[in-house]
Amino acid sequence: MNYLLPERLDKLAREYALGTLQGRARRRFERVLQASGAATLAVGVWQERLATLAVGVPPLQPGEGVWRGLEQRLFAPAPAVAAPSPSRWSWLVALLSGRSLGGALAGVFLAVLVLRSQPGLIGAEPHVDGLPASYVGLLTDATGKPTVLASSRRHGRELTVKMLQPITVPAGQVAQLWALPKDGAAPFPVGVVPAQGTAKIALPDSSEKLFFTVPRLAVSFEPRPAAAGDRPGGDFVLSGHCVKLW
Amino acid sequence: MATTTNDDLARWLARVAMHDRAAFEQVYRATCAHLLGVAFRILNQRERAEEVLQEAYMNVWHNAAGFNAALASPMTWLINIVRNKAIDALRSGRTERAATVALDDEAFEVADESRAQPQQLLEDSFNKMKIGTCMAGLSASQRQALALAYYRGMVHSEIAESIGAPLGTVKAWVRRGLDRLKTCLEAVGVASA
Repeated sequence: MNYLLPERLDKLAREYALGTLQGRARRRFERVLQASGAATLAVGVWQERLATLAVGVPPLQPGEGVWRGLEQRLFAPAPAVAAPSPSRWSWLVALLSGRSLGGALAGVFLAVLVLRSQPGLIGAEPHVDGLPASYVGLLTDATGKPTVLASSRRHGRELTVKMLQPITVPAGQVAQLWALPKDGAAPFPVGVVPAQGTAKIALPDSSEKLFFTVPRLAVSFEPRPAAAGDRPGGDFVLSGHCVKLW
Repeated sequence: MATTTNDDLARWLARVAMHDRAAFEQVYRATCAHLLGVAFRILNQRERAEEVLQEAYMNVWHNAAGFNAALASPMTWLINIVRNKAIDALRSGRTERAATVALDDEAFEVADESRAQPQQLLEDSFNKMKIGTCMAGLSASQRQALALAYYRGMVHSEIAESIGAPLGTVKAWVRRGLDRLKTCLEAVGVASA
């Protein structure tokens, strides 16, 4: 059958554009579309006509979660918890993707830079042993901008959190920091970070014990500070690597 | 959409093709409410419509380079992406839902709504496009068939079942509706081939 006879083409194009062409006929026509500019044009004209039927559809404002989810899915570095059953080679793929490797290296590099230029950031704890922080986390926002610097001494029981840029916490909610252990184990709550400035979060155990298996940190907005055993309820708005410097 | 023109959208989409996030957010903010409206009419369920909307914008981000201003207006291009995704979601979930909401109240409510509401959307669209008078030449059944196909994503057999008419008749109604739409739009200078 010659699909490109003008009249036949127009009939198929309009049913295709409307969505009433289905099954094998639809798949056959899709093959024609890939090969024929005339068919693409014919469908385009009908899509333009049919789009006028959408002008009477009342708009419906999506919840802000749709946009946040989009940012998370498109722009956030893949969170460690996202893969429930990572395939055998997924770590290698992730490592070689460049994005995560570059991100990790950039994170460490920036953290070291910040620490070098502002040693007081993490020196607020008493200098009992004169050693710099062992665990450092750098969280970025959806656009990749460094937002939270978290640091702790290896045997310290305090996490210092410095906001590198202010964040907007929705009214009635808190910005909850989570630790995301490797191997996709469930995230556990660390504490609440401030909208701006610096805060100290008391840890239930030493950093070494808490963060040894934690390659990533993330922040979500929650209706209340999370308790032990809680799981993140909202999307992660900030996330980044947690590294052991020494 | 009041202050956003198709030219703005076309310009932003060109920047989205170069992975400009700010332009992507502009496209989203300007069009999300209208597109959610379209997805919601088809799926009739807000949560699923929002999922579809998110999928659609993922598609926009990845395929903005495929937008060709010479072939389609930006809004038409966006509506097609959303409509296709919503119809796919509808058809993949239809069997499941048919089994779960067979006889409860919701089923009747949806059925009722599908008789009345799509035709109202059709009327409103005709009036906004200033083709209401021209389209008055269509019978109520012809309008209904066109409205169910466009706003509900139904195929001929489903429309036939929904309004209790023979399949061949429904196909003719849809054809007639499309012919008339083409004529009336050409009369006001829209999408002449």
